[in-house]
Amino acid sequence: MIAAEGIGFRAGGRPLLSDVSLELRPGEVLVLAGPNGAGKSTLLKILAGEMACSAGTARLEGKTLGDWHPRDLARRRAVLGQHVGVAFPMLAQAVVALGRLPWHGSPERARDEQAIAAALAEANVAHLAPRAHATLSGGERQRVHLARALAQLDGAGMPAALMLDEPTASLDAGHRAALLRLLRRLAGRGLAVLVVLHDLQEAAFVADRVALLEAGRLIACGPPEEALHPALLERVYGLPFRNLPGIGPIPLLEGALTQG
Amino acid sequence: MHIARIAPPQRRLADRPTLILLGGAVLLMAAMAAGVLFGPARISPGGLGAVLADFLGLAPLPDAFRRDAAVLGVIRAPRVLMAALIGAGLGAAGAAMQGLFRNPLADPGLIGVSAGAALAAVAAIVFGATVFGAAAGALGLWMLPLAAFIGGLAATLLMTRLGTVGGVTGVATLLLAGVAVNALAGALTGLLIFTADDRQVRDITFWTLGSLAGSRWEQVPVVAALVGLPTLGLIALARPLDALLLGEAEAFHLGQKVEVVKRIAVTLAAIAVAAGVAFTGLIGFVGLVVPHLLRLGFGSGHRIVLPGSALLGAALLVLADLAARSLAAPAELPVGVVTALLGAPFFLWLLRRRAGGVA
Amino acid sequence: MRRRALLGLAAGLPAARFAHAAERRLVTVGGAVTETVFALGAGDQVVAVDSTSTFPAPTRRLPQVGYLRALAPEGLISLNPDLLLLSDEAGPPQALAVLRAAGAPMAVIPDGAGLDAVTRKIIRIGQAIGRDGTALAGTVAADWQALDAPLAALRPLRAIFVLSAARGAPLVSGRSTHADAMLQACGAENCVRDFQGYRPLSAESAAQLAPEAIIMMDHALAEAGGIDGVLRATALAVTPAASARRVVAVEGSYLLGFGPRAAHARRALAALLHPTANLPALPGRDWV
Repeated sequence: MIAAEGIGFRAGGRPLLSDVSLELRPGEVLVLAGPNGAGKSTLLKILAGEMACSAGTARLEGKTLGDWHPRDLARRRAVLGQHVGVAFPMLAQAVVALGRLPWHGSPERARDEQAIAAALAEANVAHLAPRAHATLSGGERQRVHLARALAQLDGAGMPAALMLDEPTASLDAGHRAALLRLLRRLAGRGLAVLVVLHDLQEAAFVADRVALLEAGRLIACGPPEEALHPALLERVYGLPFRNLPGIGPIPLLEGALTQG
Repeated sequence: MHIARIAPPQRRLADRPTLILLGGAVLLMAAMAAGVLFGPARISPGGLGAVLADFLGLAPLPDAFRRDAAVLGVIRAPRVLMAALIGAGLGAAGAAMQGLFRNPLADPGLIGVSAGAALAAVAAIVFGATVFGAAAGALGLWMLPLAAFIGGLAATLLMTRLGTVGGVTGVATLLLAGVAVNALAGALTGLLIFTADDRQVRDITFWTLGSLAGSRWEQVPVVAALVGLPTLGLIALARPLDALLLGEAEAFHLGQKVEVVKRIAVTLAAIAVAAGVAFTGLIGFVGLVVPHLLRLGFGSGHRIVLPGSALLGAALLVLADLAARSLAAPAELPVGVVTALLGAPFFLWLLRRRAGGVA
Repeated sequence: MRRRALLGLAAGLPAARFAHAAERRLVTVGGAVTETVFALGAGDQVVAVDSTSTFPAPTRRLPQVGYLRALAPEGLISLNPDLLLLSDEAGPPQALAVLRAAGAPMAVIPDGAGLDAVTRKIIRIGQAIGRDGTALAGTVAADWQALDAPLAALRPLRAIFVLSAARGAPLVSGRSTHADAMLQACGAENCVRDFQGYRPLSAESAAQLAPEAIIMMDHALAEAGGIDGVLRATALAVTPAASARRVVAVEGSYLLGFGPRAAHARRALAALLHPTANLPALPGRDWV
């Protein structure tokens, strides 16, 4: 549904992305992986329509992202950024309700209450709804904003995309697992999920496909067993990896080596 | 049961914006009624009745109540209307700027409008008579407001130009441009004050303290158009400003044309504040304190904060002006002094309370 | 339409009020205006004054309408005046426009410095309050003119008028000020010719101007810490006036008001500047 062709992006004369082509399809979880500075977040911002690319095109259903009205785009894709702050004191529930803003002026408005309640339940934050956003922990905030993004996509009717930039960063192990399972469930319902992940085992667990980036170039894009092949990873990260069945690729640190 | 009791009580009220705004409207009506009925010139119930009867065409006005008719109809009514309109503009503009800059301390001063208006007003006071000579007599009463209005808009325009790079108005760049424009306007104002004579310096001082004493009917339609309409426009920006609570990128993700919203909000706030300041001089603290009060009571949603700030700002300025007229009668306090005297301690109390609440 | 009707009625106000001349209520704004009304014997009709009206003594017990450049329309109307007697210095213009719209009875008296301005003010105020001012104007003119010849015979003293010296550079009077006019009238020459109005004086200009005398208002001298305090300001310390400690202070509204006390003020300052000169004594007057 969202297709990138030959994407390039330069900032201050330095290329951050060059010649990246990939497609995000409905019903799949596509993971963006790669070392720091590989261009994962930049690619996500371009695919979200937030930034224009300096070369190539990014299209949603054949129409260049820049030509979409922001409101129509917002009804088809939601984004969960890395660190989302709230400028003024707000209740968590009010933050989630902001997800319904794109539906103002459409018949879907009538379903606001229902969509908010469903999103709160889905992200497992219904109990946080009456709390002030400022009193929540980092992980709790992350989940509240996930609920906001889910509320935004409720009612899309057509294929929609959810884009998440390192959503597991501030979550504990239990909530990470819950989030990854939720992403799988959402993809199962036909949502296109694009997610930036650092943890390669999480990537291997959740991804239908992995796009591996290095220094702004797409090295591999395919099923985890291909794109996260230890040989490839060793080249990209400069570190030996071993693929453990049912766990995924693990980096072989010195400690891990001696114990293994 | 226990949980129900510790849930914040304002949540229930915050879910009923219509009720809150209705309350605000009632408060404003009460303030305006007080503003018309009370003041240093006492109006007897008989006088009020006679003036009303005349106004409604029921009975001609007896001679004995002519003074009352003049006080109510010529002095107080336009003054209360001006105070309400300008207070609404200051409140809504303050709320919009705080939302736009995502900063609780933002006020229209940040976009240079006050400094620009002050510079132009001071120029009008210092050069008005010499430059326009005889024409100053005919143009006289409009010259200073016109100059202040244009000066306020020009400063904001300059600032947004400076703060826009490659079509994107960065909030940080805008703030820095604002600091520069304010400093420049301040320096030029200082230069003009240096060339001013003693009497002009005093006029300048009083202008910067704000006053509604010059309010006349002929100004009301001008203020209704130039302050009232932009205020309504700002209120219509509630949803985009709500989205901006999360940040500019997130506001775009939520479907807002962020650059357009920024430009419209700054322009409307500049027009509303410049037009208000043009007729009254500088009036501080309304735009800062009122939105805070709304957020404290009813949360940060702009569908309540924006119209609420307009209503409460209007009520506050009407009451502050009533106090300004009454406290030192037969003299008058500058209304900016009253708003700051009320606003500053309240603001400090608010800060202390918030700090205490977090700790 | 209805508003017009209201305005029209309000405009009928003065005529109705003027019918009761015996119980007239005057509000006077501007020191010279107030002094003149009292000198014309109508002081008992004054019900309120502005903050610049501090003479004669009874004014200090009257309600204050504030500073003459920041008048309050409703405050003035609340005094139920039969006449607002305003110096043309009064303002702001917007507030006066409101008073006019409300039909408040007003008379505006042009201010000014010099004998002609004084007599004009007295005659105009007399007309406005229904008293003949010619006798008072004539007396003041005679007193003033009695000093013309003896003062013309003196060598003019180089002098500056210092408005304030308490903070920073002293603020001195240039051309086109009441102080300038009074200095010229008192056998002195205002050495500040380069600008109009009041401006800070730099030490270098002061040294170059070399005034022989410094004239101040008494309260400004007190604020600045007396003669020693004033002469501590660098700009003033370098002058011949400082070496001779020739700093002269007179009460401000007396010196600069150009009201009925102008002739006596002229003699008082002249005597301070020229202590050895033989100036004629002026007869005591009720209003001084």
